[in-house]
Amino acid sequence: MTDVTVPPPGGAPAPGAPAARAGSIYDLGYRRYEGPRLGRGYAIRSLLVDSFRTTYGLGHGGRAKVAPLIFGALAILPAVIVVGVLTLAARIGAREQFEAASPVNYDTYYRSINAVIALFCAAQAPELFSRDQRHGVLALYFARALRRSDYALARLAGFGLALLLVLFLPMAILLTGRVLLSTDVGTALSQDLPILPAVIAQAVTIAALFGSLSMVVAAFTPRRAYATAGIIALFVVPGLVATAVIGQGSGAFGTALVLLSPGTILDGTSSFYFGNPLPDEFFFFDLPTWTFVGAAFAVSAIAVLIAARRFARYPT
Amino acid sequence: MPLISTQALTKRYGGSVTALDGLTLDIEPGIVGLVGSNGAGKSTLLKILLGLIEPTSGAAKVFDLDVGAKGVEIRELVGYMPEHDCLPPDMSATDIVSHLARISGLPRSAARERTAEVLRHVGLYEERYRAIGGYSTGMKQRVKLAQALVHDPRLLLLDEPTNGLDPAGRDEMLELVHRTGTEFGIAVIVASHLLGEIERVCDHLVAIEGGKLLRSAPLGAFTERTGTLAVEVEEGRDVLAERMRAAGLHTIVDGSAVLIDLVDERPYDLVRDTVAELGLPLVRLEQRRHRLEDLFRDAPPGNGNGDGAEAPRPAAAAGAAPEPADSPEPRP
Repeated sequence: MTDVTVPPPGGAPAPGAPAARAGSIYDLGYRRYEGPRLGRGYAIRSLLVDSFRTTYGLGHGGRAKVAPLIFGALAILPAVIVVGVLTLAARIGAREQFEAASPVNYDTYYRSINAVIALFCAAQAPELFSRDQRHGVLALYFARALRRSDYALARLAGFGLALLLVLFLPMAILLTGRVLLSTDVGTALSQDLPILPAVIAQAVTIAALFGSLSMVVAAFTPRRAYATAGIIALFVVPGLVATAVIGQGSGAFGTALVLLSPGTILDGTSSFYFGNPLPDEFFFFDLPTWTFVGAAFAVSAIAVLIAARRFARYPT
Repeated sequence: MPLISTQALTKRYGGSVTALDGLTLDIEPGIVGLVGSNGAGKSTLLKILLGLIEPTSGAAKVFDLDVGAKGVEIRELVGYMPEHDCLPPDMSATDIVSHLARISGLPRSAARERTAEVLRHVGLYEERYRAIGGYSTGMKQRVKLAQALVHDPRLLLLDEPTNGLDPAGRDEMLELVHRTGTEFGIAVIVASHLLGEIERVCDHLVAIEGGKLLRSAPLGAFTERTGTLAVEVEEGRDVLAERMRAAGLHTIVDGSAVLIDLVDERPYDLVRDTVAELGLPLVRLEQRRHRLEDLFRDAPPGNGNGDGAEAPRPAAAAGAAPEPADSPEPRP
């Protein structure tokens, strides 16, 4: 190890600058840090922001951005198409007819991109929990001024917020497009704004449910491929089983299953928030639709607890 | 108030493996070498001090704060360099170190500034903007040291910092550790199984074996003491030892030899006179020098191989450790 002998930029030190106590003024050496230490809350926020960024591959090179970009683009594609078609329709003066006929609207949008969001989760949740385990970074986090549960919750919250971005973006495009293309902005806003609370509620529910379920799977393996496969299985298999059982006409058991399968839970919460009837395949379901909301947040809470517990006991 | 103190610290893994066994220890600020063979409990001790693992029983304090209750407060002022790989290969050194600085509570701008300084301190220049995946082991070890230093800790815990380095890299890492400890007044604990390295940078040594304290003393005490006088007699060992103890000399019986602490020249004459007076059949009289290695001549637990294995170096026996209280459990 040699000392740093590069002169500081600007040559001689500024007059009045404290002279280095020992030896050469050129040796910048090691300096003490006298500034503030912002503590645990700040550490949690920093980790949350990092989780959000890492979900989109920011700060991790080009390859890490491929998957989030592809799935993000797929998630907003229907909104872009709808707005594009509306633009064309407006030119030929057929906007109203098209709006009425559009298969994708506020209340059905998320159902149409559910699979894309699930794939986004399957691809990106392992980037947080599996990656930290794989490279041993957990030891560095746990040796810092936060608790293990802080780590788990900050990662989970950061991932959830990242999901909200990909969920809100297409809706923002849809809203902006519809309002700008309408003849009267005020009327359009008064038409569309009342549905926003339901949109936000559904987006938060999706982020909580898909986010926590995918992260709890990723928390249990350092291998990205295993985590991705596990997440897809968790999202798909219960739905398949539910469909099969429902086909047999077993009402009570089917009810229990649809309240545990991520996809069907979200169909149910959508009906609740938007005030729509349940889809036909729920014909046997005789409970009120708010039970889906309860199921969504109960399942999410359990997943979060399991993930936090996993890291509390993680051997370092 | 010592920097670190432990009381009867014990850690068992799964009921069968005992990593720490009633370790009671005070460590004062300075550069402290924590030496012991692999599996002696060094890493376990460091992890307990950080609050990374909980002791099975006993207590430990760092900065006079209990590790169980005040883990966050302790870790804010402690830097830890783990033994194993812990760096994400797809991030640059700058990115990971400044990220970790923020997790340690440094504001964004301060984190960036400190990262640049500390990476320069460990000797990483242009390469710090490249992904860590392309670094050599030596560069990775430097980044690991940098992330432990970036929040300007009061205590630095280094677990085998020279692991995987070539001789030149070892020298540089040790020089860095030494400078960090002496010039900047940061207390350092360096865990290593390589005594030759440790003694170059430390001013205090703590030797543990089988989770027990062998010895804790300033480095000088390990090397400067004259050593031990080993007396082998065909019979009358215990009588001889008795007489030596009666004369106020630190004496233990180890196998065929009587080991007497040499603090001055006095024991030579005393042994000669006593042996002559009692008419004991004297086989051998030799001076054994204390070497750091002597601390570890003891066969590791479970080896059960006894003295025979040490045949090529008859002089070195476990019992050479001067304090009987610290000497390991008797062999079968």
